[in-house]
Amino acid sequence: MNHMRFILFAVLFGVNSISFAQEKTVPVPKEVAQRTFKYGKITPEEFETKISGADSAASAVVLFDVGKAIFELAGRKASFVYVLERHIRYKIINKAGYDFANLEIPLFNINDDESYLDDMEGATYNMENGKVVISKISKSSKFTERRDKNFTIKKFALPNVKEGSIIEFKYKIKSDFLGTLNWHFQKNIPTLYSEYDVSIPQFLKYNMSQTGLIKVASKRELGQQNMVSYYGAATAQIARTQFRIENVPALKVEKYVPTMDEYISKVEFELTSIRMPGQSFMDYIPTWPKVIAKLRGYNNFGGFLAPNDFVKTTVAKIVKQDTKPDSVPFLIFDYVKNNIKWNNQTGIYGSSTSAQQVFEKKTGNAADINLSMLALFKEARVEACPIILSTRENGKHPKYPVLTKFDNVIIDVKIGERHIFFDATNKNHTPDIIAFENLNHEGYRVDFGTNTGSWVNTDEFKISKKNVNGYLTLSKENKLTGKLQTFTTDYIALERRNKQLNSLNEVEYLKSFKADKPGLGISEYKTENIDNPNEPFGESMDVVIEDNVEEAGNLVYFTPLLFERTKENPFKIEDRQYPVDFGHPSEEVYRLTIEIPKEYSFDKLPQNEKISLLEDAAAFSFTVNQEENKISIVSKISFRKSVYSVQEYHDLKELFTNIVRKQAEQIVVKKS
Amino acid sequence: MKTCLLFVISFSCFISANAQVLYDVSKIPAELLKNASVVIRNEEQVYDVKNPGSAMMEYRTAVTILNKSGDAASNMHEFYNKFSSISDLKASLYDAAGKKIKDYKTSDFRDRSVVSDGTMYQDDRVKYLEFSHTSYPYTIEYSYRVDFTGIRTYPDWYPASTWNQAVETSSFVFKLPQGMTFKYLKSEGLATDSSKVKDKLQYKWSCRNVKALEYEPMSTGMRNVMPWVTLAPNQFEYDNSKANIENWANLGSWMYNLSSGMQELPEAAKVKILNLIKDAKTPEEKISVLYRHLQANTRYVGVQLGIGGYKPIAAEKVFSVNYGDCKALSNYMKAMLEVAGIKSNLVVIGNGMPSLNKNFASVNQANHMILCVPLEKDTTWLECTSQYVPLGYIGNNNSDRTVLLITENGGKLARTPVYNPADNYQKRSARVDLNEEGNADIQIETQYGYAQFEENLRMLIVDPTEQRKSLMNSLSIPNMQIGTLSYLQPDKNTAMLTEKISLKASQLLTKGGDKLFLTLNLLNRQESAVTIVEDRKTSFAVNYSFKDEDEIIYTIPKGYKIEFIPKDISIESEFGKYSAKFTAKDDKLVYTRTKMMVSKKYPPEKYNDFAAFYKKIYQADKQKSILAKME
Repeated sequence: MNHMRFILFAVLFGVNSISFAQEKTVPVPKEVAQRTFKYGKITPEEFETKISGADSAASAVVLFDVGKAIFELAGRKASFVYVLERHIRYKIINKAGYDFANLEIPLFNINDDESYLDDMEGATYNMENGKVVISKISKSSKFTERRDKNFTIKKFALPNVKEGSIIEFKYKIKSDFLGTLNWHFQKNIPTLYSEYDVSIPQFLKYNMSQTGLIKVASKRELGQQNMVSYYGAATAQIARTQFRIENVPALKVEKYVPTMDEYISKVEFELTSIRMPGQSFMDYIPTWPKVIAKLRGYNNFGGFLAPNDFVKTTVAKIVKQDTKPDSVPFLIFDYVKNNIKWNNQTGIYGSSTSAQQVFEKKTGNAADINLSMLALFKEARVEACPIILSTRENGKHPKYPVLTKFDNVIIDVKIGERHIFFDATNKNHTPDIIAFENLNHEGYRVDFGTNTGSWVNTDEFKISKKNVNGYLTLSKENKLTGKLQTFTTDYIALERRNKQLNSLNEVEYLKSFKADKPGLGISEYKTENIDNPNEPFGESMDVVIEDNVEEAGNLVYFTPLLFERTKENPFKIEDRQYPVDFGHPSEEVYRLTIEIPKEYSFDKLPQNEKISLLEDAAAFSFTVNQEENKISIVSKISFRKSVYSVQEYHDLKELFTNIVRKQAEQIVVKKS
Repeated sequence: MKTCLLFVISFSCFISANAQVLYDVSKIPAELLKNASVVIRNEEQVYDVKNPGSAMMEYRTAVTILNKSGDAASNMHEFYNKFSSISDLKASLYDAAGKKIKDYKTSDFRDRSVVSDGTMYQDDRVKYLEFSHTSYPYTIEYSYRVDFTGIRTYPDWYPASTWNQAVETSSFVFKLPQGMTFKYLKSEGLATDSSKVKDKLQYKWSCRNVKALEYEPMSTGMRNVMPWVTLAPNQFEYDNSKANIENWANLGSWMYNLSSGMQELPEAAKVKILNLIKDAKTPEEKISVLYRHLQANTRYVGVQLGIGGYKPIAAEKVFSVNYGDCKALSNYMKAMLEVAGIKSNLVVIGNGMPSLNKNFASVNQANHMILCVPLEKDTTWLECTSQYVPLGYIGNNNSDRTVLLITENGGKLARTPVYNPADNYQKRSARVDLNEEGNADIQIETQYGYAQFEENLRMLIVDPTEQRKSLMNSLSIPNMQIGTLSYLQPDKNTAMLTEKISLKASQLLTKGGDKLFLTLNLLNRQESAVTIVEDRKTSFAVNYSFKDEDEIIYTIPKGYKIEFIPKDISIESEFGKYSAKFTAKDDKLVYTRTKMMVSKKYPPEKYNDFAAFYKKIYQADKQKSILAKME
């Protein structure tokens, strides 16, 4: 055992001293030796810092970013205050990096709780004639923007920043908000050294989670801290965790990623309980049963399930004597989604506390709507439970019992042995078609009856389909006329129905539909099942297509898929760091029949092709059939999975390369 | 270019008079519903000037939101600062039948700071009410009062200033004490009702049943169709500064006085400057050295406080911190030039805004400051907020407009340089070597000048990963791999950058039976057409004039012959000129294209000619050549 002692700094009412006994070293990616930095002490070598490799042209580099966090007993409330002392130094490489010299520190205050800046230093260092010239931040370069009553931003502009400058900030933030502590090891510029050192007294319990592609080595020790406050002195056991990492590359953003937040290398601590000496134990979220009990107790969650006359009379309106029991959940779902409009906000807590309020307002957030539906389900004795989940934008849930990481709620209904998901936030939703944002793979199903919960898979396995059928005739004036029909199902249908729903009217919808399809004229546009989302969504139209058939001497030619052609490969970069997440499996089939004038004849036609990759998880086929002066073409693209791994990326890219190539082939027609 | 709020946000505001009007939606005249998402039911604005430094405004409006496209119009935002305060905030919500659903009190309104993009700090704030009501139509009624203790501008009145917005009634009453004067501009045909009421002059403008306009692309605005009034004081007092701005000369004097004495530099700075220019012989060389020093050592940080929106911070301060906003940096440059014995003038300019109106002096026609250095032969204009643009290049958004020079003899109107199509050029030559497998080796060299230099300037600044990513997205070459690429600005004093790219692509040739098709305009296609607008109401313009010249030399694969090449194309109109030439010789195919566009304001009736011109170019850019295997 290795003992070390050091003095921590003076607190408001006394002196704290801390001693540590090393407990264990968690086996981690790579141990990094601790480095120490003194404010204002710059070595000439730091001016020579260069980055090689992928980040070689970064606008700036973080030389180090060190955060030391402790808890102090302070203030009139005699409660803990989180104290983060941060010391960060950058080298500015070019002018695009000047923004780092303008520091913004956001501070909050809600009711009695606040965070505030305790100490702040900043300086710019320039190498001039072999000497380091220091420019300190001046008083007139500090600003306080009172954004609104709960939010203040402290702003600092460093002087004399040039290409090659080194800049540095050191500040201390004290905060009454103990709920979540976090530290980002990765930024959008490279970081040479990042350290987070947090000491948590025994009175506070936190759950820790690390996320991101790059894992960080950590070391945990136990120690003691003398806590002196106005109310007396006490010795507290503390747990100190140190994270250190070197050479963290800049975060690169890519497409088809639900949220980049998932991939940033970071650590988060979520408060689970407080036990203050001489005070009652305050338990936050230690176990799932407690999470469930808590949810049940909240007015804006469990409160929706309180016995209620309004719910009774509403159910009586929906469920009549002759209503078949099987159809009850579907009738309730239809009733809710058609009577309450979503206000575009997600959340696990309602803005109201009962179905009655929500139905009176006729609008609400996702929790208002789905929990109202849950209340109706319960009243009608439908076996239903809420599923709380984290949306795609919110990132993956860390899977330990923490409510703050959930941001939406849907309802699970058990019918026989089947589980069906209901999300009544959109009238275009159907049983099992929930908002696309909710397709984030997992949710936590909460059963208030048994006070238990379990993680359930929310992935959509059903293939969403798009079928386009076209019957076109080529005229001698190089126009294509005929009919186009589109049928879509599931999530593709949802997307198209939403587009309709979000357009003011059909004229506006068609205007935007035509916007990227030059030469397309539409008449007789008709939809099928637009208000019946349980059935495939159909659209049909008569079309006249100009400007798409070209002429070259005796030949005319065109790409047969016209506007539906995949023109570009969405995957352009050579290698990818993150999985490709489409959200749901899909299949697109185009069937086109094209008739040419009797006097014309087809030149050699494209060959049939079929490409299947990843054991048929991604496939493309293209077939052409000729019958006298008609050809029929079938192009089919299918992705049978929602998510493709980094290893599968190359195959996916390759498939798209082939789709783009094949769909670009011309149909060539001889005029005589 | 970064602009600063030199001449602050204009207030769009108003009063309460009338008692309750019925906001039943069925009472809206049918012709006002056409094309409308929003109908202003009744708007009343009364602005009462007490004296040059104070005024009071009462505003009241009722707006019916017909559908969700109109939601934005339901949110009230009223700006204020140290010299104004908002009180008596009230709002009520009504349903389609005009039945009141809810009242909002002052405490329902929120308050937050307003800091515009690129600015670090300014003292403007906003009071606002945001709510979501999802059953349409509905009506929201607002009223409030604003007291001003500092004046720079009077409010505008422009009730139907956005698309799809109709107006049932709107009025603006302006009161001025006798003995004070003001000036105004108004839309054609709008009646002015002026009278004397007690000891005040009272002006009134109003409109009734103004129909909504549907969105028109490329529009230069609706001022030629809609009613509007623009007012400006002749005398004002603001933040302890008195101004007379009857004309531009006076406005210039006021600005001159604000900035006088701000050019003092400490001895150390003077020594440094003289040392910097010790080898420079001509004024031009001195300007160049000092401008480069400015670019290398300063950065833009915007801070606007009170009169600081008009008065530059002292050069001495900029010397010590090396940052500032457009006024501070322009003034600092002026101070450095003074040390070098070169005279210059601060310039008040509307960056990306219309020219200053020669006959109407007001402080809200500009948002930016640059520097003008009159020399014997030529005049140099300096944009002092950019660390990248070459000496003398002030950017498309500052070019070709009327501006105000601040001189010791008051303000003088002047005109900034014009950048012609030939200045804003893109010259490109490319070689494309195709082999039998259909793979292509592509070498591209492009030069971008002036406005096109500005558009591509970003590529000089970002890192290679980002360069590649941008290029991948901007070039629509199927299945390409970028080999090398470079961006250079060969001469730091010229607004021109060169781009060199070498890449490989495997899908330039598309199959069609046993033939191969090659789209000849590989790099600069106009990919979309413009839809025709029936009965257009507003004028239109293209962004800026430019001229593109492209040449691509293709080497066709071995064993193939050129079976077809398109005929040469030439299109000419008042909007611009286009030509494409196709020549074939042996295994070479040469494609040359020129496209020149003239930026001007065109009348609405010309729009469909413009659409036809655009469509011809769209078709011309798709032309293909056909290759066939040699027998």
